[in-house]
Amino acid sequence: MSYLELAGLQKRYGNSVAVDDVSLSVEQGEAVALLGPSGCGKTTTLRMLAGLIEPNRGTMTLDGSEITKLPAHKRNMGYVFQSYALFPHLSVGRNIAFGLEERGVSRGEIDKRVQEGLALVRLGGLEQRRPKELSGGQQQRVALARALVIQPSVLLLDESLSNLDAKLRDAMRHEIRSIQRTLGITTLFVTHDQVEALTMCDRIAVMHRGRIAQIGSAEDIYDRPATRFVAEFVGRANVLPLARDGQGRATVWEQLVPVEPAENADLFVRPQRMRIVPVSEPAGGDTARLTGRVLRSVFVGDHVEVLVEGAGGQLTVEMPSGSAAPAEGTEVAVVWPRSESRVFAREAS
Amino acid sequence: MTASRRLPLLLIPATLFLLVVYVWPSLGLFRNAFNEVGPTGAMVEAWSLETARTTFHDSFTFELTLNSLWLSAVATLIALCLAYPVSLFLFRTDSRFRGLLAVVAIMPMLVSGVVRVFGWLAILGDRGLVNTTLQSLGLISAPLKLVFNWTGVTIGLAESIMPYMILALLAGFGRLDRTLEEAARSLGASPFRTFRRVILPLSLPAIALAAGLGFVLSMSAYITPKLLGGGRVFVLATEIFEQATTNTNWPVAAVLAIYTLVLLLALLVVSNLVARRLQR
Repeated sequence: MSYLELAGLQKRYGNSVAVDDVSLSVEQGEAVALLGPSGCGKTTTLRMLAGLIEPNRGTMTLDGSEITKLPAHKRNMGYVFQSYALFPHLSVGRNIAFGLEERGVSRGEIDKRVQEGLALVRLGGLEQRRPKELSGGQQQRVALARALVIQPSVLLLDESLSNLDAKLRDAMRHEIRSIQRTLGITTLFVTHDQVEALTMCDRIAVMHRGRIAQIGSAEDIYDRPATRFVAEFVGRANVLPLARDGQGRATVWEQLVPVEPAENADLFVRPQRMRIVPVSEPAGGDTARLTGRVLRSVFVGDHVEVLVEGAGGQLTVEMPSGSAAPAEGTEVAVVWPRSESRVFAREAS
Repeated sequence: MTASRRLPLLLIPATLFLLVVYVWPSLGLFRNAFNEVGPTGAMVEAWSLETARTTFHDSFTFELTLNSLWLSAVATLIALCLAYPVSLFLFRTDSRFRGLLAVVAIMPMLVSGVVRVFGWLAILGDRGLVNTTLQSLGLISAPLKLVFNWTGVTIGLAESIMPYMILALLAGFGRLDRTLEEAARSLGASPFRTFRRVILPLSLPAIALAAGLGFVLSMSAYITPKLLGGGRVFVLATEIFEQATTNTNWPVAAVLAIYTLVLLLALLVVSNLVARRLQR
């Protein structure tokens, strides 16, 4: 049995089901992201884990003992809220000390651990300030320190970086990840930002409509999406409608593609896995190939996006910047390894 | 003229109205305070502090002040203990009846003060609901004296200021936030400890605001002490009315009125200072 086990968790609000049959095993020291669009049930799952809401069905087990019915204040979970939820009437130091005071830790020990907490998030010397005197990033760190000093069984982060500006978010991502690794603390991280999920966690659970659509490593999720939703939500994908030729073989843009023919389905290929080659270059045995005309090339800093138009649609190829982008209007061939092709049925609408 | 410079024009109608019906009579009140009362009891035009001097040397004025302060403090405390949980409930509830419940809570404001007092007489009187119930249960043999004394006035006052205090508390609860309670819970605080360490401290400014309002309203209340007191309860407000009407002693009434006004202003300033200090 894993350190943390969620089994068949369900949460209903009236007739709508927010979380439906979510099961998840997390090993000690592991960081797992719950990734999904808003309303997918990821925050509800986290709040059930913290004991802030009660599940209608299912069980939660921590380190071998069941915690499903345990009230929030007895669970020892460090929760970092999206809005930070710092106590406005207490100084930074008292905020961080709050959980330790509730645990009856001695004064001297509290002072020592508050100082350690402040040092961990690099806020030494600010313990006398009030939360409102701090910047958003500093408040975020205080919230993190407050959750960490209680030495929680599990650290729960709820969209914790979404209120920061892009640059600060990037820095905090690495900082939180390194703290998580150093302390070896089991972490659940709720986010709608795939970059956050991909960079900060060992495994990612992609949630969709209250269920876990796929769980796996960043590479699993990105390169081997299990469902159409995962393929569309994580990263970018070219979605090419599949058709059949006279002999029943699969085609895209009236050109043969090496995948199993299917009805009402689309071919998914990541733009980074595609390459542009001259039309004259022959196709290899294990590559797929489509020809089209370059509509335009857009320089996006670290890469160049080339938009290629064929008979019946467009696709995007991401080329590393620095490589010569083909001129607009050129006829080109787009090739990719056969193994990079995914076929997903269209959802019945 | 720019729009912002024209903005104060909005204040003109109310200012004119108050000048005529409030400021002008108040100036008359101030003028009366310097008049004297002749041996016949008739008012003598003067510019002296003689009336003020005799009034403040009268030990009865001191007694009235203590009565008013004590009554207001007790009534405010009782009303606060009743209004705080109600306000907290109204502030936090997700019920779709929240709006309706709020209206119910402040409903007593919609009933005239005199009508409310007669309601209390029906409930607390010798043959009222409380006494007949207790007697038929055999818990008491003679009716409890619940009206026409301090008990009745305190109960009536507490009830009459409660709706105002509920509104003041709701307005002052701004910094209370459900997420802060959840943060406290997640950090290991029981529901009681969460109340003690987060909810209560954050609602102190609201409590100061509501208590200040309740106190001022109690100090200036006339109908409840007069009618529920049955002539046995003497406070500043009833005395001012007695002097002005029964005794037609306008100078003394004016001195007492100004004295009460100064007391109330001082209390408001203190309550605001406390609220602002707690807000930080």
